[in-house]
Amino acid sequence: MNIKNNFPLIFGISIPLLMITFVFLSIYLPQIFVKPQYDFLYLLGDNNCYVQQKNMQIYAVENSELIYNQGCSSKEPKIFFYNIKNNESKEITFEEAKRSDLNEQIQSPDGFEIVYGSKEGGFFPFFFYSGSDYSSRYIKGHNVSKKLNIQPIGYNNFIFLGWVKK
Amino acid sequence: MATKEEVLQYIKELAIKDAIKKEEIIAAFEESAIISVISEKTKSAGISEILYYVGGAVVFIGISIFIWQNWSQLNSLTKILSTLGSSVAAYFMGLFFISKKKTENIALSFYLISALVMPLGLYITFYEVGFDMGGTGMQSLISAILLMVYLLSFAIFRKSLFIVFSVIFSTWFFFSFTSFLVGNNPLFGNDFFQYRILAVGLAYILLGYYFYKNSRSSLTGFLYGFGIMGFLGSALFLGGWQPNQKIFWEIIFPGLVFGTLFLSVFLKSRAFLTFGTIYLMLYIIKITSEYFSGSLGWPLSLVLIGFLLIASGYLFIYIKNKYIRL
Repeated sequence: MNIKNNFPLIFGISIPLLMITFVFLSIYLPQIFVKPQYDFLYLLGDNNCYVQQKNMQIYAVENSELIYNQGCSSKEPKIFFYNIKNNESKEITFEEAKRSDLNEQIQSPDGFEIVYGSKEGGFFPFFFYSGSDYSSRYIKGHNVSKKLNIQPIGYNNFIFLGWVKK
Repeated sequence: MATKEEVLQYIKELAIKDAIKKEEIIAAFEESAIISVISEKTKSAGISEILYYVGGAVVFIGISIFIWQNWSQLNSLTKILSTLGSSVAAYFMGLFFISKKKTENIALSFYLISALVMPLGLYITFYEVGFDMGGTGMQSLISAILLMVYLLSFAIFRKSLFIVFSVIFSTWFFFSFTSFLVGNNPLFGNDFFQYRILAVGLAYILLGYYFYKNSRSSLTGFLYGFGIMGFLGSALFLGGWQPNQKIFWEIIFPGLVFGTLFLSVFLKSRAFLTFGTIYLMLYIIKITSEYFSGSLGWPLSLVLIGFLLIASGYLFIYIKNKYIRL
């Protein structure tokens, strides 16, 4: 095979193949070396309630502790514990959640945060859009992201409460 | 271009110097008559080929409408037979026609029917078997199957049409498979689609150049056209818009456009010249409205845009007439 004559062919086919390899490696390679360490608590459902025309939250974190607003009569959201190592959620009671020491910061002590997924569509270049996918949540940091195993999920029914301090 | 009198005068001068013979002039004259006949034949072959392709596309539309209208009445087997079965039958009809020199061109229309209906047939077959067809995983599988079919067809029959289908299905595979890998991963945000178009555009241009050098130049126009359109289009999109513009792409873009115009001369490509000029115009409009409409005001900006567009148009005509006249 004459490489000089076939260089445009080889290079032309290599570009998409290299891009596929790059995408694959950039997704899966960092996951081997960088792993998030902190579990977290979250709510699924509506956390808002109105007491005497004042908007309140049913569950809130104060001084690293989960508190329950007793004045609310709305349907309570469910509380979940997310085990980051096993990538699984488990529903827990308020009493169990109260025992956790919580860090409310958006970013965990090891530099991760919970974000929406992304999506794109349309027909390039005439009509094209890209934005957030509200039906999925990812944990993201240090050029690594991993889909969280949370279902079902919508735009505003996922409420992050805090990272569980070790 | 020289006038008839100038040419005759030049021939006389050459004859005086004994640099040309009467037989050579007669031979050149006869050769021109043969070229004229060949070009007439090529023209009529081109029209009949277009009709073959249009016929193939109409058959595809007919099958699609048949399936759509009778979806609820047809059972699984009938749906598969009328789509995948039709495409396989069309493929083998193509094989039959291609084996004879006289019907070789008709075979192309059957291959077109096959290539258009086969994705629909595979989609319906997988759907009827019970696969979830919503995700990009199944699209990757279908496009990979089609790519294999047409790459093998090219390897056996060496017809350029199979390269066209292979390029189309490999592009589909590239987009669906990368989307499958990425999913909704937030690390691959807004620009990922544009980067993929950029990569595909560059690949098309390189393939076009390869085929130009390897006596399959009929593929070059299609590959250059879509390649440069995607490449420059994605580079322009990557520049973004104020206040979220990306300075790197906005600065590098004029270099890419003038590089394209330069290459249009080198490659004698109308596609490069046309899209290079169109994107130069779009860039002028974008940059003027983005950065100068505030300071100069819209009326003066429009005057500036107008003059720059006239200059771009002149550049297009100048390069086309001087270097690319095909």
